[in-house]
Amino acid sequence: MSDPLALRLKTLIVQTLRLKDVRPEDILDDEPLFGTSRFDLDSIDALELVLRLEKEFGIKIGSSEESRKALTNVATLAEYIRHRQPGHGD
Amino acid sequence: MSPTVDALPTGLEACDCLTPFGDAAATLSALLAGRRALEFEAVLGAAGGDRVPLALCGPMDESVPPRWLPDLRRLVASIPADAWGTARRPVVVTSSNFGVGSLYAFTRDHDDRHLRHGPPFACVEMLQREFTWGENVHILSHACVSAHLGLAQAARLLHAGLADRVLVLTFDFVSPFVAGGFHSLKILNDGLPAPFAVRETGSIGLGDGAAFAVLSRAATPFRLQAHALHNEMYHFTANRPDGAGFDACLGAIAEAARGRRVWVKGHGTGTLEAGRLEAEACARQFPGAPLVSWKGSLGHTLGSCGLVELAVALTGLRAARLPGTIGTTTPCFGDNVALGPFAADGFDATILTSNAFGGAHAAMLLAHA
Repeated sequence: MSDPLALRLKTLIVQTLRLKDVRPEDILDDEPLFGTSRFDLDSIDALELVLRLEKEFGIKIGSSEESRKALTNVATLAEYIRHRQPGHGD
Repeated sequence: MSPTVDALPTGLEACDCLTPFGDAAATLSALLAGRRALEFEAVLGAAGGDRVPLALCGPMDESVPPRWLPDLRRLVASIPADAWGTARRPVVVTSSNFGVGSLYAFTRDHDDRHLRHGPPFACVEMLQREFTWGENVHILSHACVSAHLGLAQAARLLHAGLADRVLVLTFDFVSPFVAGGFHSLKILNDGLPAPFAVRETGSIGLGDGAAFAVLSRAATPFRLQAHALHNEMYHFTANRPDGAGFDACLGAIAEAARGRRVWVKGHGTGTLEAGRLEAEACARQFPGAPLVSWKGSLGHTLGSCGLVELAVALTGLRAARLPGTIGTTTPCFGDNVALGPFAADGFDATILTSNAFGGAHAAMLLAHA
């Protein structure tokens, strides 16, 4: 069964970065988001995405290294958000 | 694209700076004592936000006239008197941000007095009136290599016979707009900078800075011998991962410094990737030369850093003692990183470098007796 958070993130990525010819369901959970020609995203896109994620999920990403790790792929991003949302036990 | 190298020696008749510590002498003294000007402040000033390391000359408000004008007046009062801005005495003004904080303030409070010093040209015209300069005023801006470009332009004006003396003035004062921008990039965060240190997280600080230099063709004891400029054209915010951009610029200035015993005042803001690339390239191009950065104390003074740090270096050379890399502890990205103060004797030249967004690299060679 697909992860609702992962699907929400894929939708948010497509909308925020205005990806053409990419549907949310086309993005694989473990597919690299940056550094490949498939999405052709750069650091400005990363900045835009981070600001949107912070607003959308009420989280704070502390450093560029943390943001790079979180944005590896949709699965790492979903994991990152789960661990930082209010009510998480860690 | 090959780097541009200008081997156009110019004499440094006068040079000083302004930082939160005071002038170049006070700044040197604080750096030699290992003091940090950086303190944790709200990133958006009175509007609050996360606390980040900023080195400010005063509260980061958005006043009219701008908060930095009294500081600039204080610095300009120490410039040797001359008919600045006239035909043979051009002024070159450089900044990365000029009064951009005022433009941001205008978008929020709609007070159009902010516009008098917001856009670069309006800002410099205000300075021209304030300091009664003539019309021969040049404006240069290229992010954090702005001051280097100003000094290189001054050398060109002198060697082309278009000037007898040139005043280069540079300034960058932190505003909520600029601090907020670096904060959103996540490199201005809740950590203090430790330039060239191997760490989990990179952090920079931002600082207020202004400086001037009076250049001429005179044979002064300290001379700017050469400038190297290079743009690697790789990415908006990233350097080529193999460090080729650093090597191209540093290699060009190393050629100009051949046979000299140098130390290197590096750029070293505290970001990890650029810090590693710079330390490694310095070790390749200047084997055995100590490398320092002072941004762990002063923060990154953006477009003004090249001239602010030149003023501190000159003062240190005159005092025969140079500050180390404040805020950094081992392990570092290279054995060449000097952590503590060291004696200036034994060196007959200094390499000063700055780098900027867009892949811009700048380096200059300061020769001394």
